[in-house]
Amino acid sequence: MSAEAAAEEGFDLLHHLAPKVLYELKLGGIDISITNTVVTMFGAVFLVALILLLAARKPKIIPGRFQSAVESIVLFIRDDIIMTMIGKEGMVWFPFLGTLFFFILFSNLLGLVPYSNTPTARLSVPLALAVVVFLSVHVHGVMRHGPVKYFISWVPKGLPLWVWPIVFVLEIVSAIAKPFSLTVRLFANMLAGHVIILVFLSFVLMFGTLLVSPLSLPFAIVMMTLEVLFSAIQAYVFTILSAMYIGAAIHAEH
Amino acid sequence: MEGLGLLGAGIGMGLAALGTGLAIGILSGKAVEGIARQPEAGGVIRTTMILGIVFIEAIALYTLVISILLWSKG
Repeated sequence: MSAEAAAEEGFDLLHHLAPKVLYELKLGGIDISITNTVVTMFGAVFLVALILLLAARKPKIIPGRFQSAVESIVLFIRDDIIMTMIGKEGMVWFPFLGTLFFFILFSNLLGLVPYSNTPTARLSVPLALAVVVFLSVHVHGVMRHGPVKYFISWVPKGLPLWVWPIVFVLEIVSAIAKPFSLTVRLFANMLAGHVIILVFLSFVLMFGTLLVSPLSLPFAIVMMTLEVLFSAIQAYVFTILSAMYIGAAIHAEH
Repeated sequence: MEGLGLLGAGIGMGLAALGTGLAIGILSGKAVEGIARQPEAGGVIRTTMILGIVFIEAIALYTLVISILLWSKG
């Protein structure tokens, strides 16, 4: 398509971010086609497993370069996320939160590779992660404190009796809003970054001339660099918020 | 009356960016003041600041989602 034709007909930007079907697959009427999003996600899983297994295969007391790089991230999850947000009881959740962090980090980073498609920029993947967090928080809270005590602890102590039902309903709404906001935060952050890169690149097509490329290309490169930073920050944010919710469920008596 | 959705999406996103920018600016300014006054509390202040930024940013992201919905409808 020539630049002029594209500029005239106008184009759908979001269409470029949609997953491309590589292999059609249907199971009982449900579409489970292999798209490049799925491939990217499995690539992320494979890379996480490979890197972590390689780093933990022969742990040395004096770590090499590779081992200490992985170790510093793991220690960061333990000390900065779990210890500050949950405390010592939170070490049970270390495998879960660590997996969450590494999976989101690698999904975000692999999404920057050309021909891939960020799994976390599709609403379904962050939603699935957030629902898992939601279920584990409340199941853990109920199992630890018993259902009655746990749900009563949602409302702050010392309220007059007539305010109690109103606050309880509000707390239920906020509990349901939490996974939703977790989902939208990760999804919209990843999608927005990609849309901005796409918009900068498609300025060339919009104006129909190559003269804007010296301006738009450097901006696209700068945004790409920022995306690497945001990938790490969003993985950190998702994990620390999950840790915060889990911590609130564990320390429900306060 | 065509394109009013696009107009709404643009104006809404702009207002959301204005509010978020102001809020994050105030928040990080105060955090820097706190860290400068008490550098040993820097770690805790930084974590709290990032949490605050995350919650503020979420509000702008809700607007972004609404804007994308409006935009795709035209």
